[in-house]
Formats: sequence, structure tokens, C-alpha cells
Amino acid sequence: MKQAVLSQFDLPWIPVTGLILFVTCFAAYTYWTYKKENKSTYDAASLIPLEEPSLASSSKGGN
Amino acid sequence: MSSTQANAPSVNRRLETFSYDDQIIRWFIIATVIWGAVAMLLGVTIAFQLADWRVNLGLPWTTFGRLRPLHTNAAIFAFCGNAIFAGIYYSHQRLLKARLFNDILSRVHFWGWQLIIVSAALTLPFGITTGKEYAELEWPIDIAITLIWVVFAVNFFGTIIRRRERHIYVAIWFYIATIITVAVLHIVNSMELPVSFLKSYSMYAGVQDALVQWWYGHNAVAFFLTTPFLGLMYYFVPKAANRPVYSYRLSIIHFWSLVFIYIWAGPHHLLYTTLPEWAQTLGMIFSVALWMPSWGGMINGLMTLRGVWHKVRTEPGLRFMATSLTFYGMSTFEGPLLSIKSVNAIAHFTDWIPGHVHSGTIGWNYMIISGILFYLVPKLWNTELYSKALANVQFWLATIGLVLYIISMWVAGVTQSLMWRAMDSDGHLVYPNFIETVVKIVPMYWVRAIGGTLVLISFLIMMYNLYKTAKKGKVGEAEVFEAYALDESSIEQNAETHRKLEGWPMIFAVLALLAILVGSAIEIVPSLLSNKYIVKMDAIKPYSPLELLGRDLYIREGCYLCHSQTVRPMTHEVLRYGKHSEAAEFVYDHPFQWGSKRTGPDLARVGGKYPDMWHYRHFFEPREVTAGSIMPRYTWLYDNKIDYYSLQKKMSVMLALGVPYSAEEIAAGVTNAQAQAATIAKGLVEGGVPAKVEDKEVIALIAYMQRIGADYSKVEAP
Repeated sequence: MKQAVLSQFDLPWIPVTGLILFVTCFAAYTYWTYKKENKSTYDAASLIPLEEPSLASSSKGGN
Repeated sequence: MSSTQANAPSVNRRLETFSYDDQIIRWFIIATVIWGAVAMLLGVTIAFQLADWRVNLGLPWTTFGRLRPLHTNAAIFAFCGNAIFAGIYYSHQRLLKARLFNDILSRVHFWGWQLIIVSAALTLPFGITTGKEYAELEWPIDIAITLIWVVFAVNFFGTIIRRRERHIYVAIWFYIATIITVAVLHIVNSMELPVSFLKSYSMYAGVQDALVQWWYGHNAVAFFLTTPFLGLMYYFVPKAANRPVYSYRLSIIHFWSLVFIYIWAGPHHLLYTTLPEWAQTLGMIFSVALWMPSWGGMINGLMTLRGVWHKVRTEPGLRFMATSLTFYGMSTFEGPLLSIKSVNAIAHFTDWIPGHVHSGTIGWNYMIISGILFYLVPKLWNTELYSKALANVQFWLATIGLVLYIISMWVAGVTQSLMWRAMDSDGHLVYPNFIETVVKIVPMYWVRAIGGTLVLISFLIMMYNLYKTAKKGKVGEAEVFEAYALDESSIEQNAETHRKLEGWPMIFAVLALLAILVGSAIEIVPSLLSNKYIVKMDAIKPYSPLELLGRDLYIREGCYLCHSQTVRPMTHEVLRYGKHSEAAEFVYDHPFQWGSKRTGPDLARVGGKYPDMWHYRHFFEPREVTAGSIMPRYTWLYDNKIDYYSLQKKMSVMLALGVPYSAEEIAAGVTNAQAQAATIAKGLVEGGVPAKVEDKEVIALIAYMQRIGADYSKVEAP
């Protein structure tokens, strides 16, 4: 079955290119993301949704 | 002050005041709830139509083939679309500490989108459709969608430019990917040549059309029902739980992996078809790879609730969000599983697929929308939720209804598949008559309809709960906030490349676009190189003028929603239908009509299988010739006259698309069509049919039915 499938790959460069591209990009962004020195910044970034700007003048509701 | 701003000196920085545009969010919320009810009501209606054909009501605009596209469009673009816009506009402003770019654009976006939805409701029930699943809307509406999407994009990116928060939070990355990918998908798949204001033909044909359509169809799920909701999840789950996301770094890996991989997976909708083997295998491999980012996102969402699981018991919003993530995990496990060729061989064309789809749309989309609405409505109307008890009832009704839906469709799907492929020791089909498999699963259609009804009731309860909440609250004046404007001091020095990138939205958007274009380009290669692998056959001729008109009726009635037109190279399919399909058969099919479901039998070899009289009686009352059939009656085909008026224009457009009609054939189109109609009518009248039938639509449809696969049947097997 596997051989039969492979024999019909008349454009083998396509999946190979895709695989290389994906693995390269994946390795790159995983490396950058999990570098130790970035941890504190990403921890801080994760708090953005929980931060509220200070109220300048308070009145309830929308607009 | 934000985390990144906190690191920067605040001296000499400009303090600005601003307010949020929450009114537009309220509008989108109201639209979400109204269209959601419509979408689910339509869903329940068509579920009962499959259980009992009489629910089709005998009217053209209430039949399954016309209501089903309305249901899917209403659910995806009206219900989920409005929810996406509400959630994005709310979170976008708060994550960026900025009001939406332009209030007028926001309102144009809102009313334009509602107009598009109303246009869909005014065209699809009347059979005005392109005949491509999830992209049925005709070309003027397609253009309107493009324009409104551009308005949305300008408003969205304009807000980013005016932001007061340097770092662009991960939720916004998902929104960016959604906006650019949906634009690409919609434009490429909607390439069509107009015949008239309400009729067009796809620029692609056969295999190419199938590939482009399912590249679109699959990624409509990916980038309309998944990525925007993942972005919303990354904002609303932490807000509702009052905890930061479990792992921000995992969310980055999640984002890039998902965006890169998802776009490749479309061909898993076309396994065992005439698509090149390598493209099918590629689609399968990337579908399986999707497990990784999908489950990464699910785990990240669920783990955000660590330490606050007790709130899931008491807070309805959180409970819906947690359940939605669980269903997201289940459906994204099932999806790749169904993409594996051996599993797909069993599941494709069966009811297992709608079961899988609804575990995503109800379990993931409806549940998370409920969670978001329970968070937003009390906030925006300045009050508490009206009733947690009602929310509890809604939750259990929705969950039980969904489980009934999924299980009944699993049972129906596996039953169908096993019966289709059952062969005795002599190599004969055990159930050669397709209707035997239909009758067997009708009880499951009833269970599905009941499950769907429970989901609809749950939705109506939520509507009431939200209405009462809004009624007891009030909309007052806008709150005014203050934050520092962005300037050079907010730019982090010596940051890593990806970290800098997170503050450069336009470059980020371009890279996200490249990520989806790489996969897209490689998927589209088979289309571009189609001439290399599709060996044209002399025997395959363009449709005759009358057959062309009949094909348009086939599309108008939505026949492709229940009947496929492609025979897979499997023993049981060849035994049941005839020779398996070849790519060359479809070179004149604008659009392709392979379908994705076999509620009725495949029609790829139906040409010449039955006499004209069989079809004539079948369309009028299917049960006359097939006892137990659940197909609706098409009695209006016997009253409506064939539309010869547009025939020459249709043939001219086909010629422009590459169908080799000669100028003489086009000029004589109407005469030739009427002559063929007269021949068919003569035979029918001799068989006892009332006279003067030759100008009725049913004759054109019979002509088309008798042509499907007829040319290829004459070709000798290799």
C-alpha cells in the first residue's frame, strides 16, 4: 500500500518542500518562544487581558 | 498600566483619554441571538424533513435542497459571524486600549453584514445558488461580502494603528489570521462568470473546482469557525476565570502551527476521488498533524481554569466555555481520525460527517458563544445575569440534545457504510438496493431531530434569559479611560525577533499571510498542473443545450446535497454504481457536483439506467417507484416552463470558460433544446403522460439525468 502510494507521487518536491518549511519554521519559533530570557516578558503579556485602564471620569454604561 | 508600558518610563509620555464603542457590540449581540434562533429553527426543520419527507410541505422554497444551504449559511455567517464581530470588537478595543478606528465604518460593517444575510434569505429558498457548498451565494452578494470584509479589516487594523498597548496579545493574532485568510479563501473560491444578475458559473471545472471548493470549505471551518473563536477563547476564558492563560508560550506555538498546518488539510474531503494520489495523501498527513496544535489550544484553554474549577459549577459562562473546549478537543480528535484514508473510506458520504460537523458547531461554537454572551450581556447592560437556573437548564438541554445528535449520526453513519459495503461469499452486494440502507436509518433521523429540537429549545431559553438580563439593566453614558500614548519609549530594546514582531502588526500580518499562502499554493498546484494528469477523452462531450438547462435545475433544487456524482475505486461502489470516476469525465462541469453526502444513491452512472418515464414519475412522487424513499416531491417541475431565454447567454459564458461550443451550436441552442425536449416528451406521451409536456422543466431535468455519466459509459475500460 505504502509503495503503491509513493509510486504515484509524481510531484515529490511538493510534500518535501512543505515538510522542510514546516519543520524549519516550527523549530525556529519554538526556539525563540521557549528561550529562558523570554519567560518573564511572556508571563507579563499573558496578563494583558486582565489589566484595565484607569478610569478618567466615571459614569456607567456604554454610549 | 500595561505590563510592557510599566517597564517604560512614564515621564514625558502623553496621557490620553478615550472611551470604547460598546453600542456596536450590543447590536452585534442582538443580531447573534436573532440569527442563531433562525439558523437552529432551520436546522431542526430540515432534520425533521429527513425523518419524514412530508415536512417538505410540497412547496419549492421549503424543500430540503433549498433550506439546507440557508441553514448552513445562517449558522456559519449569520449566527457565528455576528458573534465573532461582537467578541472581536469588544476584546480588540480592550486589548489595545483604544476605541474602534471609525464609528461610521463600524455601523457600515454591521448593517452591511445584516443586509448580506437578508440577501441570502431572499435568494437561497428561491433556488438562486452557485451550487457550491458553504459558498452558495451568487456573485453580487459575493462582492458585497468582499466589500464589507474590507470595511471590517480597515476598522480592525486602523484600531491597531491607534493602539495604546505595544504588545499585540495572542488573541489578536488569531483575529489577524482570520481576516486575511477568509479574504483569500472567499475571493479565490468565488471566481465566477456572471450569466445574469442572479446566475453565474464557476470559473473552475471538475477536479479543479472540487479542489478549490474544498480548500475553501475546509478552511471556512478552520478560519471562520475555529481561529476567531480560539482568539475569543484566549481573551474571554482568562477574563471569566480572572486568571492569565495557562501558557502564553504554548499559545504562540499553537498559533503558528495551526495557521501553517490547517490550510493544507482540505484534500481530506476528496479522498478516493480523482484528485491525484499525492495530493490526497498530503491532505491526510497534514490533517493528522493538526492534532498537535488543536489539542495544544484545548489544553491551554482548559488548564487556564486550574485553581478555579469550582467556578465552573457556579458560573454559567465558565461552564459553557469549559464544555466548549471539551467538545473542541473531541471534534478536533475526530476530524483527523476521519481524514485517515481507511477511516474515511468508511465514514465519507455517510451521516457520521454531519454528526462530526455538529459536534464542532454546536459543541464548540454554540457553547463558547453562550459563554461569551453570558459574560458580555451583563457587562454591557450593567447588571447581573437574570437567571442562573435558566442557564443551567439551557446547558443540560443543549448537552443532552447534542449527545443525542452525535450518537444517532454515529449509528446511522456506521450502519450505512457497513450495509453499502456488505458482500456475500459469492461477491455480490448483500443490500443491492440503496433504499434498504435508507429505511434502516430513518429511526436515527428521528433521534437526531429530537436532539436538535432540544438544542433549539436550549437556545430559546438563552434568548429569554439574555433578554430579561438586558431589560433589567440599563445603558448609560460611556466610561472615559486614560492611558499613555505609544511612543518610542514603549518599544522594548534588545528584544528577540519574535518579540519585536509581536509589536509590528503589519509585518506580522504579512507573515501570517505567507504561512497560509505556502500551504494554499501547494494545494492549488494540482489545479494549475491539471492538464498534465487529466487525459482528455474524445468521448466526453459538452452538455447539450437542454441538458445544460437541466443541470441548472439540478443545482437550483440542491440535489447535490443528497446525491454524490463520483464513484470511488472500491469494489462495493463499482458493483453498486458502475465504473469508478475519472478526472476527464468532469472537464465541462462548471461547477462540479460531486456532493459530500449520500442520503440518496450516487448518480454518476445514472444516465441511461432508467427510462425517461421512471424519472418522470420519480420526480412527481418518489415513493411511486421507490417504496420507502424520503426524497421530496418536485411537483412544480411539471408546471414551470423551461427558461430558454437565457440559454444562449449561458452557452456563451460556458464557451468563455473553455467549453467547446461552436458559434453555430450557440446560435441554434434554443432550437436544438426544443427539439430534444420534443423527443423526450413524445416518448413520455406515448407512455400515457398528458400532452403538452415538452416545455416543462421536468423534461430538461430528465435530459440532464440521462446524460450524467453516459459519455464515460461508452469508454472501454483500460
